Amino acid sequence: MSGENSSDRSMTDRIADYLGTALGTTDLEMTGVERIAVGWSHETWLFDATWSAQGAQHQRGFCLRRDPGNALLRDLSNLREQYRVLQCLHGTAVPSPEPYFYEDDPAILGAPFLVMEKVPGECPSPWGREGRRFYQEAADRGVLPGDFTDTLVKLHTLDWRGAGLDFLGVPEPGTGFILREIAKWRHLIDQAVAEADLDPVLVDVLGWLEANAPSTDRFVLVHGAYRTGNLLIHDDHVSAVLDWETPCIGDPMYDVAYMLSELNREGTDLLSNLVEQDEFIRRYEAGTGLEIDVDVCDYYHVLYSMRSAAFWLSASNLFATGRNPDLRLARTAWSVPVVLDQAARRLGF
Amino acid sequence: MLPADELLARMSGLLRHEIGPAVSDPFPKTQAFMASVVLDKVAAGLRHGAAHAQANDADRRTLADDLRVATTAADPAPLRAAIDALPTPQGDGALASLVTALYAGRAELGPERFDTLLARVRQTLRARLDRQLEVAS
Repeated sequence: MSGENSSDRSMTDRIADYLGTALGTTDLEMTGVERIAVGWSHETWLFDATWSAQGAQHQRGFCLRRDPGNALLRDLSNLREQYRVLQCLHGTAVPSPEPYFYEDDPAILGAPFLVMEKVPGECPSPWGREGRRFYQEAADRGVLPGDFTDTLVKLHTLDWRGAGLDFLGVPEPGTGFILREIAKWRHLIDQAVAEADLDPVLVDVLGWLEANAPSTDRFVLVHGAYRTGNLLIHDDHVSAVLDWETPCIGDPMYDVAYMLSELNREGTDLLSNLVEQDEFIRRYEAGTGLEIDVDVCDYYHVLYSMRSAAFWLSASNLFATGRNPDLRLARTAWSVPVVLDQAARRLGF
Repeated sequence: MLPADELLARMSGLLRHEIGPAVSDPFPKTQAFMASVVLDKVAAGLRHGAAHAQANDADRRTLADDLRVATTAADPAPLRAAIDALPTPQGDGALASLVTALYAGRAELGPERFDTLLARVRQTLRARLDRQLEVAS
């Protein structure tokens, strides 16, 4: 968490002004304001508010996400779409924050933002020592691993058409989903790197992915980054699925492969630092009625390496072009060969 | 005067061991540590840059020789042009064009020849990637 400085205080006042108007009150008070310093995408603010309206006192926790315009995945994700996804999920079995407001008028807070429910829970990063300990202890207690798997089952068994999520785009059966996904991430690469400067290994990986795309015709709501660190945990249960930045309608194995991926294990055999692989597969297959296709997951592992390369190229480009001065982004330029090495080894060289 | 890579390595050490720990605010502290990491990578790039460029150039020339033997005038023209461009100073761009031309000519080449040619190209890609990893890892 960052300390509250004068710029944060000014933002707090502007949020309070907006929220008071939106809730139809003149006495709104904000307390416990925190600007969360995790993630590289949108700014996140947490706070509680009390106000009076229609003769009654109200108290509620809020979470505000603001798009500063220079964040990662800016070209693939926007808050309006995230807000719409949350609207569709509200009232379904998938635990998610209730969305309250979305505004794209920069005159209000200087950038588009959404306001949603502050769901109880914590979201430790699985990459740090404390986070690893948190998930290891939860794994030892034995409740969260099952709930973590069951929440993915809820996602993949959701009636996405009934929930109105087909606005995300329904792919054609066959290779439609995968080719669309490759094109999406290729677009991110093209925005970061000129054609003439493309790494030849990345060109090989992209060519292999297009030439070997498997066919799929069973579609579910895919989260796109389902792992610890993107979920709120409360009392050993998933209280909310967060980070709806890359959702799509697509192959359930896309999320499953992400779960099985080595990308999301930090010095442990547990998937996402939490679940034993055999238990995950047994419980997921029993819950969804789907059989995990290992060959297709192997294909997606190469796709995830390409996705990681696209992600790191985009991140380092944000720094290189002066749009974001965070040196953590500059460092990611050297992550590209590392993920390309993973892809090359999977392709046999 | 100190060689540039050594100067950067010393600056990195200073940021990591002296400046970073003296900063209390988490964000600038992280930035100091990241500056140290970036300087280490840049120093490694300077240290290995000339030798890696030389090795990459030599690999591309050998690759061009091998692929000229393995291809004929009947093969796709863009592939042959990409092979001819390998020894030129275009460097990595020529390698990327070669891989693009290979995949584009896949049907014309047939699966067996495509696999054989790609396997030879990948030997060069692997050697180049290993050099990149020397700096990146």
